[in-house]
Amino acid sequence: MDDIRPISVDGLRQRYGDFEAVAGISFEVAPGELFALLGTNGAGKTTTLETLEGHRPARHGTVRVLGRDPYRERRAVRPEIGVMLQDGGFFPDLTVAETVDRFRGFTPDPRPRGEALDLVGLAEQADVRVRQLSGGQKRRLDLALALLGRPRVLFLDEPTTGMDPEARRATWRIVRDLVAAGTTVLLTTHYLEEAEHLADRLAIMHRGRIETAGTVAEVVAGHGDRISFQVPERFRVAELPALRGAGADIAVDAGRAVASYTVTEAGLQSGLYDLLRWADEHRVELRGLQARSASLEDVFLRTSAGARETEGTRTETGAAAALEGASR
Amino acid sequence: MTMTRPLAGGAALRVARLDLMLLWRNRTALFTAAGLPVLFAALLFPAHGQKAGGMDAALLQGTGHLGFFLLFAVFMNLVNVFTARREDLTLKRLRGTALADADIIGGGVLAAVAMYAVQVLALLVVLAAALGGRFPADPLLLLVGLAGGAAVFALLAFAVSGLTPNAELAQLTVLPIMFACMAGAGVMFPLDGLPAALEEACRWLPLSPVVEITRTAYFGRDFHDHAAHASVGFAGGWTACLPSFAVLAVWLGLGRAMAGRWFRWEPRRA
Repeated sequence: MDDIRPISVDGLRQRYGDFEAVAGISFEVAPGELFALLGTNGAGKTTTLETLEGHRPARHGTVRVLGRDPYRERRAVRPEIGVMLQDGGFFPDLTVAETVDRFRGFTPDPRPRGEALDLVGLAEQADVRVRQLSGGQKRRLDLALALLGRPRVLFLDEPTTGMDPEARRATWRIVRDLVAAGTTVLLTTHYLEEAEHLADRLAIMHRGRIETAGTVAEVVAGHGDRISFQVPERFRVAELPALRGAGADIAVDAGRAVASYTVTEAGLQSGLYDLLRWADEHRVELRGLQARSASLEDVFLRTSAGARETEGTRTETGAAAALEGASR
Repeated sequence: MTMTRPLAGGAALRVARLDLMLLWRNRTALFTAAGLPVLFAALLFPAHGQKAGGMDAALLQGTGHLGFFLLFAVFMNLVNVFTARREDLTLKRLRGTALADADIIGGGVLAAVAMYAVQVLALLVVLAAALGGRFPADPLLLLVGLAGGAAVFALLAFAVSGLTPNAELAQLTVLPIMFACMAGAGVMFPLDGLPAALEEACRWLPLSPVVEITRTAYFGRDFHDHAAHASVGFAGGWTACLPSFAVLAVWLGLGRAMAGRWFRWEPRRA
């Protein structure tokens, strides 16, 4: 019984007309685990989430929530899940308290109103009309509604968008407590910091595919460490040294050329040593010198950039095929 | 995995309560659903005393209003509510709860029908107390006719809502059915003066059978016959209205099919 995965997605594909929003993805989330879907806008995160919430059937592949088909067995699945929408969906003319009261009536065995509002820190806003709430407060009300039924599986679609840093940290604390208490959470976000803070495992989506997945450490591993500094004015780029076989990438930051090297984890210390010795020999001061491991952001940016390059190749091939077709 | 967390009974009633609360807070919608009927009822008073088709014009028109008010309280109201909710994603949020789709739809219809029922009762009282009307000759026939009409216009509302891109355009998309029923169902002016073919066509409007049944039940005279209005006995009203019920049944089937085909829970993606 307990070996049923709270969430499993196998070969899911979804399309809107000619646009393939989700192009064949698979992942599983274990009980009490927080899994984050990262991606740029239009990567297919929300479509995936909405399929799991039972808003649309899977076009290809299978999705299961608590072992059931969330679309066909909505009545059985819905009382067990909590859903936080990406935005909207409130009645602006109701107060916060009225909103919670109405939705308590739509939830089996709901939390008391006070408990729900305390949980998200909205108790003081109980008598405020929803239209007067700030964006971040609306997100917190959304979370309160999602938590009314003490769900076993929680879906959070960009839960902290529009929140100030303090509210964001408070929300993270709530989510971490829920996960510690055994709730399974699937979260989408484009805040990488959020995923780094919360996720047990994560997947980076791009154009409907999962490009990379695993724990933060697994995802970051193999993407190398970084050494960077401002290119000294009296040197040309070609005169900069190679560090452990890695050449310098040059970028312009605030009007100054910045050289950065990607070295293997083992190469960080020795690469840095080579660099400092070179600087010593040439009597040059390295301004803005940094050495750090790859961050989720590096992986994220490289994943979407890499996928874009592949896409470019694909388009060319497509164009060539079209030309061939035309000449035939 | 066991899932034993049923939602407490009466969920549709709780949805209806929410819907009435929201209607009360939204004055524009409230005016369409409840204010316009009051205006139309007020316009009956100047007609009182004039004759139309051998009857008091206020009574003839007023009994037509019993059916006509379906267009405001049920049809336009439901098109507005379900279009606006689809676009502002409140339908989506409601569907994310333990509510069944039938609760959400049923609650909406229940609230609309409750408001319509209040309007019908109030109008019956006004007709009897101030306009020389009577107690309906066959209350059961009246009830069945109006209930059938409510079902037809609720179904048409879901169909039209599905074809309406946003809440602003709902003011336009309701107009074809609105105008056709206003002009052609015999509420505003009697149909027996029309050319035979046009009169026959008017019988097939969704509101026409409701008005025919309502008047027959109210006056105890045959109003399926647009001209003569012979007196009917107790069961005679039902027999006289059989053709009207047939038209109503056709619209029920048609409405069900169109609502099933066109109604949408989700906004259309760009």
